[in-house]
Amino acid sequence: MRLIIADDSAVVRDGLQHALEAHGHDVAATAADADELLEAVEHSPPNVALVDIRMPPTYTSEGLRAASAIRLRHPEVAVLVLSQYVEVDYALRLLRESPTRSGYLLKDRITQLAMLLDALERLDQGETVVDAELVDVLLHRPTTARRLADLTEREREVLGLVAQGLSDRAVAERLWLTQKTVETHVRHILAKLALPPDSDHNRRVLAVLTYLRVVDA
Amino acid sequence: MRASAMLLAALTLFLWAADVARQLQLGVADSGLAFYAVAGVAGVVVAVAVARQARGDRLALLIALWLLLSVLDDLAVDWPESRSATTVWMPAHGLVPSAYALMVLGYPSGRLRGRDDRLLIALAAVVGLVWMGAPLLFFRPTGCATCAPRVASWLYTGTTFDYLPVGQVSWAAFIVLGIAFVGLLVRRLRAAPPGARVTLLPLGLAVFFTAAEFVAQRVVWLGGWRSPGGVLDWIDRANALVLPLAILLGLAAIRRRRGPLGDFVVELSRARPGNAQPALARAVGDPTLELALWIPERGEYVDEAGMPIDVSAIPEGRALTAIGPPGEPLAALIHDERLLGQRSLLEAAGSAARLALENARLQAELRAQLTELRSSRTRIVEAADAERRRLERDLHDGAQQRLLALGLALQLMRESDVDSELLRQAEIELQTALRELRDLARGIHPTILSERGIGPAMRSLADRAAIPVTVEAGDERFPPAIETAAYFVVAEALANIAKHAEASAAAVTFARRNGRVLLEISDNGCGGAVARSGGGLRGLEDRVAAAGGSLRIHSEPGAGTVLRVELPCG
Repeated sequence: MRLIIADDSAVVRDGLQHALEAHGHDVAATAADADELLEAVEHSPPNVALVDIRMPPTYTSEGLRAASAIRLRHPEVAVLVLSQYVEVDYALRLLRESPTRSGYLLKDRITQLAMLLDALERLDQGETVVDAELVDVLLHRPTTARRLADLTEREREVLGLVAQGLSDRAVAERLWLTQKTVETHVRHILAKLALPPDSDHNRRVLAVLTYLRVVDA
Repeated sequence: MRASAMLLAALTLFLWAADVARQLQLGVADSGLAFYAVAGVAGVVVAVAVARQARGDRLALLIALWLLLSVLDDLAVDWPESRSATTVWMPAHGLVPSAYALMVLGYPSGRLRGRDDRLLIALAAVVGLVWMGAPLLFFRPTGCATCAPRVASWLYTGTTFDYLPVGQVSWAAFIVLGIAFVGLLVRRLRAAPPGARVTLLPLGLAVFFTAAEFVAQRVVWLGGWRSPGGVLDWIDRANALVLPLAILLGLAAIRRRRGPLGDFVVELSRARPGNAQPALARAVGDPTLELALWIPERGEYVDEAGMPIDVSAIPEGRALTAIGPPGEPLAALIHDERLLGQRSLLEAAGSAARLALENARLQAELRAQLTELRSSRTRIVEAADAERRRLERDLHDGAQQRLLALGLALQLMRESDVDSELLRQAEIELQTALRELRDLARGIHPTILSERGIGPAMRSLADRAAIPVTVEAGDERFPPAIETAAYFVVAEALANIAKHAEASAAAVTFARRNGRVLLEISDNGCGGAVARSGGGLRGLEDRVAAAGGSLRIHSEPGAGTVLRVELPCG
C-alpha cells in the first residue's frame, strides 16, 4: 500500500521507510514536520499516513492536529499516530474527532514490525487501532476491575480486543472462536456495561474506551 | 537603690516628727516650728516623688541622705543633754555641707560628673569630720558639765567649739570650699545648653539664695546687729523649703522637655515611612529642621524622598548634628544653629528617630532579602524544571529514536537471511531498554502537562494509579510553574498513598477559588502521614513554596490523609 511517513527524526524516518519498503509497501513520501506532511498528502494521498505525535515546532502534539486535518480533508486516508508515551487523553481525542481509520500506537511498536504491519493493514481496511498497552492500562486499573466484576474472564478478554479496535472477525481469529460466538459475547458485554448496542465496531471502540476511563467516585 | 531612698526618707520623716514633738514638749515651739515641720514634710515628699521617677532613685537617695543628716543635726540641738544624741549629731552636723554639695552637684542624675566635683565633696566631708570629729574625740560638749572629758583634755578651753582653733581652721576651709562650690555651679550653669540650663536654673537660684542668706547671717551676727524684724531668721527657715521646691521645678522642666519627645516617639511609630521629618521638627521645636538619611551604598545623605542633600554646604546659621555611632552615621539633623545648645534634646530626638529609622531600614532590608530568597528559590525550581524538560527532549530526540531505528534494523536483519536466536534475544533486550527509557523520560517531564495542561496530566496520573483515583479538574490552563508544582505534588502524593496509606480510593480536586488555586488530594487510608512523611512531603512543601503557595497536611491516624495545597493563579 501507499504510505507517507512523518517523523522529525531522520534516523527513524529512514529506518521505517527501509523496513516498510522491505515488506512490499510503497513509501510515497517522508516528512519532517506537520506542514510537509499535509503538503505531501495533498499532493498524492496515500492509503495510510504514519505520523509521529511529537514534531516541530513545539514537539508536543502536532501529530494529533495533523491527523485531524488529514482525516477532515481526506476521509479516505487512514492515519496512524505514533506516540512516545501511552496517553489515554491523546487516544480519546483522536478517536473522538475521527472514530474510523484512526490509529494510536506506541512508537516502540515499530520495533515489533508484525504489529505495525498488522495495524497498517487494519487501518487500510477501514478499522480503528488502539495500542494494546493503552487498553491494558485501562483494563488493569483497580477501579475498572471492580466495574467489570460482572464480566466473565472470556468476556473481559473480548472486551480488551474490542477496545483495541479489532473487528468481531479479528477477535474471533485471535481467540480461536467463531465470529458468531464473539458477536454474542460483545452483545452480553455491552448489555452488562449498559452501553448501547452498536454494530459499528469502530464507534464501539470509543464508547468502550470512554467507559473504561471513567473512575467511580 | 529606690528602696534605700524610701527607707531613708521614712526614717527622716519619723525623726522629724519626733523633733517637732520634742520642741512642743520643751515649750520652745515658736512661729518657726510650723515652717520647720512643713519644710521637713516637703523635703521628704520631694525625695519620694523623685524616687518614683524613672532613673530618679539615685538623686532621691542623695536628697534623703541630706534630709536625714539635717534632721539629726536638729535633733541634737533639742536633746542637748543627751550624750548619745550629741555623739550622733556631731558627725552628722559635720557632714551636712558635703551632703548638700553632693546633692546639688549630683543633680539631676544623682551622679557626679567630674573630678572637681568629687574632690570638692571629699574635701568637704574630710573638713566636716575633722571639724566635728575633733571636739567629739577631745572635748566635753558645751553645756554638758557632767559629760566625761575626752581623751585629750589639754585642748579643752571650756568655751563653745566655734572659738576653738580647729573650728576656726575648719570654718576657713569651709569658706574656701563654699566659694569653690559656687564656682563649680556657675561653671556648670554657663556650660549647660539652654535646654539643660532651664532645668538647672531653679536649683542654682536656690543655692545662691542659701549662700546669700548664709553670708548675710554671718555678717549681721559678726557685727552684733539684728536684722530688721528678724527677716533673716525667716529667710533661714524658708531655706529648708527652697531647695525641695527648686528640685521639683527643675524636674518639672525636664519632664516638660521630655514630653514632646515622648509624643514624638509615639508619633514616629505611627508615622508612615518617609514622614519622620515633620514629627522630628515638632519635637525639637525647629520648623526648619531637615532630616538627612545616610545611604552607605551611595556614600551620601538623602532626604526622605530620596533626593541627595549636600551636607558640605550648610548655610550660615544652620548646623548639622549627626546621629549614630561616630564614623558610621545613620542620619543627620540639619537645624537652626541656636539649637546646638540643646544637644541632649537633639540627640534624644535623634536617637528616637534613629530607632524608628533603623527599624524601618532593617525591615526594608529584611523584606528585600525575603523577596530575593523567594525569587531565587523560584528561579532554582524553574531552572530545574526547564532542565527536566530539556533532558526529556534530549532523551526523546536522541537515545529513544536511535534505539527505535536500531530495533528496525535488527528486525530486518532477522527477516533476511541472518535469522538467529541471538538476534531475537537482542530485540527483546532492546524492547526492554525502550520501555525503561520511556518510563524514565516520562517521569522526568510529562509532555502531556506542557501540551494539555494540569487537568489532563492529573487524569493521566490517575490512569496509572494503583488504586481508583477520581480527578475533578477542568481543562483550564495555568502558568507553567503552577502546573508543574501541582503536577508533582499530585504525582508524589499518589505515590505516597500507594506506598503507605493502605487506601482503597483517592480523590484529587483542582479548582480556582478567590483568585487562588486550591488543590486537594485525599485518601481513605490509615492516616498519620506527617509522622512518616520523610523527605517526599518536605520536598513538595519546598516546591509549593517556590511557586508562592502553601501546603497543609491533615492526617489523623485512622482517618485518611488530606493534602491541601494553595497556589497563586499567576
